[in-house]
Amino acid sequence: MQLKPEGPRAQPAITRRRLMAASCALLSAGAARSQEASVAPTASVAPTHSGLLEDWSVDSALAYYHEDGRVQAIEPVVDVSKVFADGQSLNFNATFDALSGASPNGALPSHSSQTFTGPSGKASHAYTIAPGQLPADPNYSDTRFAAGGSWTLPLTRVDNLSVGGKFSVEDDFVSATVNASIAHDFNEKNTTLSFGLFNEFDSLHPIGRAPVPGSDYALAEKQTGGKTKDGVGALLGITQVMTRTWLTEFNLSVDRFTGYLDDPYKITSIIDSAGNTTGYEYESRPDERTRKSAYWENRVAWTSRLSTALSLRYMSDDWAVRSDTAQLQLRWSWSNRERYIEPTFRWYRQTAADFYTPFILDTAKQSTGFESADSRLGAFRALTYGVKYAQKLPGLGSRAESEFSVRAEYYQQTFNEQVPVPAGLQGLDLFPGLKAILVQIGYRF
Amino acid sequence: MKLDRLSFLCLVAGAALISGCSSLGVRPWQRDVLAREEMRLDANPLDAAIDDHMYFSKEASSGGRSFAGGGCGCN
Repeated sequence: MQLKPEGPRAQPAITRRRLMAASCALLSAGAARSQEASVAPTASVAPTHSGLLEDWSVDSALAYYHEDGRVQAIEPVVDVSKVFADGQSLNFNATFDALSGASPNGALPSHSSQTFTGPSGKASHAYTIAPGQLPADPNYSDTRFAAGGSWTLPLTRVDNLSVGGKFSVEDDFVSATVNASIAHDFNEKNTTLSFGLFNEFDSLHPIGRAPVPGSDYALAEKQTGGKTKDGVGALLGITQVMTRTWLTEFNLSVDRFTGYLDDPYKITSIIDSAGNTTGYEYESRPDERTRKSAYWENRVAWTSRLSTALSLRYMSDDWAVRSDTAQLQLRWSWSNRERYIEPTFRWYRQTAADFYTPFILDTAKQSTGFESADSRLGAFRALTYGVKYAQKLPGLGSRAESEFSVRAEYYQQTFNEQVPVPAGLQGLDLFPGLKAILVQIGYRF
Repeated sequence: MKLDRLSFLCLVAGAALISGCSSLGVRPWQRDVLAREEMRLDANPLDAAIDDHMYFSKEASSGGRSFAGGGCGCN
């Protein structure tokens, strides 16, 4: 009977459960990990009962992502966590992605039709793009499964150690990451300093094998064997309780990736002075990249119903990409905090990588340096508008409550390309940008 | 030992931060508002993970809030 959703008449029972949960939380508070000022545990301390996941917090979501005329994806995610009475906590999560649609291959639109062989080289995967259309591989599809976990262990009353790992598999990509961080509370737990390290190991097996970077697309020169790239990074953070209603966090991070950083499926159009496409070559990126970022987040409760979360980020790398990001999220609660709505606005801009070029001019010689026409390395601005609605529901089993949510986002990229284009390319939409929607439903208990 | 300008600035900034932090904050019995779900820095971890995946695959930047690794071949 407890699994059956309860109506308004069941309010006394819900109240009793909440009191029970609060009592358990109080009893275990003395041993709970001392991290009030830092990243709070995602799980609440639940009463211990037998049964599958009975004393675990479960967070789940199903997301649908759709780009205008391009890729779409379905992504179910589940995250389970538990805080033990001695302050330790465990977290496990799993994600599945199924992607399909048309993925831009990097080539420019043309006044003539263009025919491409797919990455596999199979005749059945060849595709022809109509004049004026952005070249995109219509046979793109991929599936991804990712699983991760973390374990947080209190070392002392004011020190916490956290270790974790993540593993993901795609049709052509395998990735494993390990991380560890330590956090120290002081100033009556109003301040937390944290430091963490991660190490990522990636293995790539491109469909049709990895092309020789910078080589002629028509020659289909491929390399033997798989490719690897590794990343290592560090993050230093401070979290500070400013006032009774204001929490702030500031992070500095640096990471370095080395190895095969190319996108094996991206090509660049070679254009003559009249603007005619005379061929293509595979992109060629440097084999190392170092990024640095600063991140600042503020959470403020303005009234009992209204709170905001504002985050700012600056990032730079040695590919000459500089980016600024600002995100504002409001939360308006009502019905005794049983319901809330959360509008979100995000603004983003980036400069282009120094080797980014939408096309290569001059057919007389192949470029010898690095080049990529991947629009993700170009200069653009992006806006995201989002809204989320959530409602508390009666809990499942012995749980005090659960929450159902629905969320939608609209994402739009606008390119800021300054490269002069030959007259022959006039009239073509060379930088069409990107429009995408995301719809997500969530349930946690 | 002679300090260069950057080290000196870091020392001054660090000292100011630590001395400033000691005068900020609340007493343990004043954490009622901070205990609210929306005041947690990871209030919506799944929303953040799904958004980060989207931005990671469409932009040249990632991370900042946490580690920047992708674990995804989409970029």
